[in-house]
Amino acid sequence: MSNASPYGEVIQEHFRHPRNYGSLDAPDVRHEGFNPFCGDRVRIELSVEANAITAARFAGDLCMIAKAASSLLTGMLEGLSLDEVATVDERRLLDAMQTEIRPARMQCVRLPLETLKTGVEMWRNR
Amino acid sequence: MHETFELIERLRRAERRAVMATLVRTVGTTPRKEGTKMFVGEHGDVFGSVTIGGCVDGRVLEHSAEILAGSSPRLLEMQLGDEEAWEIGLTCGGAVDVFVEPLTDELIAIYDRARVEWDAGRTVALTTILSGEGAGTRQLIEQDVPATSRTEGNVYIEVLRPPPTLLIFGGGAVSIPLVSFAKATGFRTIVVDGRPRFANRERFPDADDVRVGIASEIARELRINATTAVVLVAHDYKIDVPVLKRALDTDAPYIGLLGSRRRGAAILQMLRDEGVSEEQLVRVRVPIGLDLGGDTPAEIALSIASEVVAVMHGRTGAALSAA
Repeated sequence: MSNASPYGEVIQEHFRHPRNYGSLDAPDVRHEGFNPFCGDRVRIELSVEANAITAARFAGDLCMIAKAASSLLTGMLEGLSLDEVATVDERRLLDAMQTEIRPARMQCVRLPLETLKTGVEMWRNR
Repeated sequence: MHETFELIERLRRAERRAVMATLVRTVGTTPRKEGTKMFVGEHGDVFGSVTIGGCVDGRVLEHSAEILAGSSPRLLEMQLGDEEAWEIGLTCGGAVDVFVEPLTDELIAIYDRARVEWDAGRTVALTTILSGEGAGTRQLIEQDVPATSRTEGNVYIEVLRPPPTLLIFGGGAVSIPLVSFAKATGFRTIVVDGRPRFANRERFPDADDVRVGIASEIARELRINATTAVVLVAHDYKIDVPVLKRALDTDAPYIGLLGSRRRGAAILQMLRDEGVSEEQLVRVRVPIGLDLGGDTPAEIALSIASEVVAVMHGRTGAALSAA
């Protein structure tokens, strides 16, 4: 695992040095999602002011792809309105990863995305 | 649960009158140590043993009926002939003292008080006057508790140390028998997994605690100290690396990782890349377990449990016959 990643430099960099890893003091949105098969588990936290995201963090036990996806995803959120969260999709994350992900591993990309969207929806419906 | 508390609880539930016999002093090499107990119920049923069979247990049985009939607690001081000593494991003639007393409500009450402290993770002791006026009188000690149970003069000090804890990361097939073996050998067991379908009460009815969540966070929340064994059987680097990092930052005497030597080397390299020192890395036992052979989940679990028990007792796990 210490050598070159089979998933490319962007994923390796974000796996080794994840951005926005940690917790917020008093998050408005806080939601945890997991993959029931492999055990990937992520928690996404957001601070929201005037319907816009002002800070995003994630934490979890995640494989290389899921951790990189979480890191890249949380880096896209600051300044977005909650409505604009819907525009962040798989394609955008894959573009940011700059590599092909096999279909069998696509759930690793989707996990943080689904966790984010579920968390936002639950917060809006609270 | 501590064997003594467990046996008292069983007798209480059964509403049985019983006698409690405690091995309070040994001279020579014995298979069981001070503090070992045997309970004899009113119908002659026996729970536990003060030796591992033989004449001593027999003598306790002989005296039990009198004690149950209302006699006072008594100290049985048994000088053993060579033959008797050989039977119970002494290498030559020696002596054992066994204190025999009725299991009264008062006695149960003080053990209940001790258990509250013990359950909270605190070491306590009970002192017992062994003979003369006040024989059988007990006192709970919470401060300056000695290291081991022993008799000083006319007072027996029974040290009740909280059980070691086995933290198991990963709720797979190996973990199920591992919990059973650990419970049977006196460990408090905690199972951690990120997947509720693996970490649940149906799979682990005997575990003391089953936790579902981010394993690395749970590892940081749990108290890990010199009485904790940490076993990683998740077989997943995303769990292994952060949990090992946390475990290596404690004085846990046992840290074991399921996996081949090759896999172990890769995981250790990831830890090295994260700045964990070589001095710390040598504490990780990988491949985990003793070399018992076998590859079923139960056999692997037995191999792990055996190594954990050996390490917690400061032993190697080598065959006694080879020593």
